[in-house]
Amino acid sequence: MFLKASSQPSLGTLVRIDLELPSATVIELQGTIAKHVTDPARGTGIEITLDALPTKTVWLIESALAAETKVRADTAGGAPPPPRPPTEPPEAVVRSDVAEAETDLVRALESEAESLRKLNPFLVLGVGYETTDGDVRAAFGELTKRYHPDRFARYQSTQLRQTAAEIFILIRDAYRKLADENSRNQVLATLKPAAPPKRPQTQPSAQTSQSIPRSKTPPPMPRISVPAAIPPKPPAIPAPPSLPASMPPPPAAAINPHDVPTNPSPKTAELAHTELAKAEHLAVPVAQPQVERKSGPIRRVTPAGGVERVQPVTAQMPPGPVKVDNDNADADALIDQGRLDDALAAYRAGSKKNPSDRALRAGVELVEGLKALVNRDRMEAAQRFEAALEHDPSNERAARELAEMRRQATNERKGLLSRLMGKKEPT
Amino acid sequence: MSRILGIDLGTTTSCVAVLDDKGQPKTLAAADGERTTPSWIAWAANGQVTVGTRARRQAVTNASATVFGAKRLIGRKVNAEDVAQFAKLAPFRVVAAPNGDAWVRIHGQPISPQEAAAHLLRQLRSIAEAAIGEPVTRAVVTVPAYFDDAQRQATRDAGQIAGLDVVRILNEPTAAALAYGAHRVGSGRRIIAVFDLGGGTFDVSIMSVENGIFEVLATGGDSALGGEDWDRRMLERIVDEVFDQHRVDLTQVPMALSRLREACEAAKKALSVDRETLLQLPFLANDQHGAPINYERTVTRDQVEELTKDLLDRVTAPTVRALDDAGLTAAQIEEVLLVGGMTRWPAVQEIVEKIFGKKPSKGANPDEVVALGAAAYAGILGGEADDAALLDVTPHDIGIKVGDSGFSVMIARNSMLPVRARKLFATTSEDQKFVSIELYQGESSDVTKNRKLGQVVLDDLPPGPPGSVRVELVVTVDVESIVGITARELRTGKETSITVRPSGGLSQREIVEIINRRRNETSVASYLPTEGGNIVRVTTREQAAVKPPPPDEDK
Repeated sequence: MFLKASSQPSLGTLVRIDLELPSATVIELQGTIAKHVTDPARGTGIEITLDALPTKTVWLIESALAAETKVRADTAGGAPPPPRPPTEPPEAVVRSDVAEAETDLVRALESEAESLRKLNPFLVLGVGYETTDGDVRAAFGELTKRYHPDRFARYQSTQLRQTAAEIFILIRDAYRKLADENSRNQVLATLKPAAPPKRPQTQPSAQTSQSIPRSKTPPPMPRISVPAAIPPKPPAIPAPPSLPASMPPPPAAAINPHDVPTNPSPKTAELAHTELAKAEHLAVPVAQPQVERKSGPIRRVTPAGGVERVQPVTAQMPPGPVKVDNDNADADALIDQGRLDDALAAYRAGSKKNPSDRALRAGVELVEGLKALVNRDRMEAAQRFEAALEHDPSNERAARELAEMRRQATNERKGLLSRLMGKKEPT
Repeated sequence: MSRILGIDLGTTTSCVAVLDDKGQPKTLAAADGERTTPSWIAWAANGQVTVGTRARRQAVTNASATVFGAKRLIGRKVNAEDVAQFAKLAPFRVVAAPNGDAWVRIHGQPISPQEAAAHLLRQLRSIAEAAIGEPVTRAVVTVPAYFDDAQRQATRDAGQIAGLDVVRILNEPTAAALAYGAHRVGSGRRIIAVFDLGGGTFDVSIMSVENGIFEVLATGGDSALGGEDWDRRMLERIVDEVFDQHRVDLTQVPMALSRLREACEAAKKALSVDRETLLQLPFLANDQHGAPINYERTVTRDQVEELTKDLLDRVTAPTVRALDDAGLTAAQIEEVLLVGGMTRWPAVQEIVEKIFGKKPSKGANPDEVVALGAAAYAGILGGEADDAALLDVTPHDIGIKVGDSGFSVMIARNSMLPVRARKLFATTSEDQKFVSIELYQGESSDVTKNRKLGQVVLDDLPPGPPGSVRVELVVTVDVESIVGITARELRTGKETSITVRPSGGLSQREIVEIINRRRNETSVASYLPTEGGNIVRVTTREQAAVKPPPPDEDK
């Protein structure tokens, strides 16, 4: 993997890159500097050889990409899409059904409003912290087309329109606060102190996943990681751009360990580029990746020679990689067998013995979440899974369950809307 | 689901449009091919009502029973200054309704402007039904952005009388921008100003158009300034001249007034192109000795401009204020769009150019563009167009009365709709039992000069020293400009709330009475041919309007 860098640390230096997934998971990539590159076309830089990633981490990256693709494909990003006239003649729907469907929609919108209330303005609009007036307006425009009460004018329920108005007011207030750079900086100033140092950003597209409550603390600023073994002075090794909210992670694709073996061949480099292009394409709607910084971006050259801007690295000591405990294998097996109570007991026992092991604490939350799912308490389940990821961002199963829940929520809403529209069109 | 009409109910002309099968708005022509209908309504001695061109044509012989400019009266009080001025030179009689509203008296019968406008709406509806070949029950009707709540509600009431469900009242300049911008999707953000000087109202709106989002940044205007004021200035001058020469007061001769008005309007139109024109009115009236007065003189554009200089000045202040409210300078406006017939007047174009520092652009059809925009908006509401959204604003400040006559603004004018504002109050006296909160709309710091919207009283407050009991007031305005007030005592959570149902001057009972009366009339009138519509269908729809079908039959 090539990174543009103005200074070139000595060969063999260990480099660590934090990669933030939209699901709030942070993946730590490790590698060593393989060679110094001075290329007239690409500028000076370094070639990094990445260590192979555990398969579960690869899976996390892939599922994040897939979930994002799906969310994008649903146009609405999981939010109720603007009702469209169906292309096929819809079936006649009984009135009571319609009332029920509208009630469902109201409920969906209400929880939508509820989750939006907890978000900071950047996340409400789904824009990055380093954004532009134009992108803020564009994001506001997209959300307006989706949530403006006029969109719901043809439904009978006044409550529906009121709830849509609630949501729209939240969106509009966020837009007001971010409309120009001065006010954006003011908002940023209020966010910064609250931002915990390590917790990754929450995924803004979750504004659409109504059943998933958010943590009360505002998410931290986009943050760049830090090569561990690099001299105290802010190092010149750029990391991949930290991902603004709602972005599928283009660099994740670029450095997907599948495609970047120890010795990148031309073929794999090309592959990586294709992936990157795909990822960038996905990134197009609501917000563009905001990697530009006023302090002067560092440029990164993609394998195929394309130029990308990369945020400069900030000096910060990274926490060590989260230990994934192999002792949990037993408990995992219990989960697979469906013996949730036993698994819970196993994790609890482990956690007591070893209170500092976050993976075990995550395990407790995960099993609690799975139990809640069995009891059909999706709110509780989502909270538990999020808590699990908070303890251990690499907890694969929790991430998968969360992604699955989001998919379900999106699908349910689609079904709801098509039922509603069925009634609204002449038969 | 039936289609939703877009109706521009203008002071001098009206127009109806609808989305065609390709989703493009188009105006609909009456049987005679005309795409605009003069906003004239006439009552024959036998009670038969004619509307549009025919009403206008017979105006000279039936001046006292032919109404135009009903839009200037709708939702207004008769003692308002501009209403009184209008009434003085109208050939028909403007009278006061019991509640002080301005009505007209036709054949000795008081008729509300709502009812007159309803005739017009009914006509537009039948034009549309004939053109698209299906029944229509719903419409988006445009009003000047500067209309207040009462004027808007009165317009809605007119729709109800005409058997139309007015699904939304839309601001005219916004509609114009919508029609204008609909063709230019994807060309980046543009800041435009819509300068709309019509027959009777003046509106200016500053908007941004980007990627299907039409955002009104600020709006201003004068709901009593329009082309008819120019006509009237000329008319007043001629009336004075005739009085000086012949000692005859033409304002007492409806037929002469009616002819003069036509002549003045024609002269103004001619002077929009030529520098001078000839006014010729043979046998205008008889002088004191019974001899005919033949009025004839040459009028130049300069003379008229001199005569109407103050009218022109009245467009500047609202325009500058709207720019100010939008936080923009004239230089930041990329395009100025002219709407309304009066913008054809060269001096108007000059002043617009002077204010904005650039040549305004004239739309292809300034008389139709508002109706086209209304139809486009109907498409948004009906779900046919989902790539556009309209963000409109409150035209006036909304606030509460403080002290005897103070006005504390809670929602500033030009706030994007929907909007919500909160305010906390504390009691001012020991063991205060209740608070009464009065909501007003307007710009004056003297609350009594503003229009009262409503009042909430929150009683049974818990006892306590002054300031110990806190009441939270929440004022909301939804996208339909409907205002709601909620007052809540914070300790006990007791709350009271009202939705302000603006009154357009007619009660629901009165509206139903008019509909019923009209139904009886039509059963008589149904033997007579009317313009552009089929009477039998009209009659059945009248009945439907009184007793709306259950919603599930409304497909």
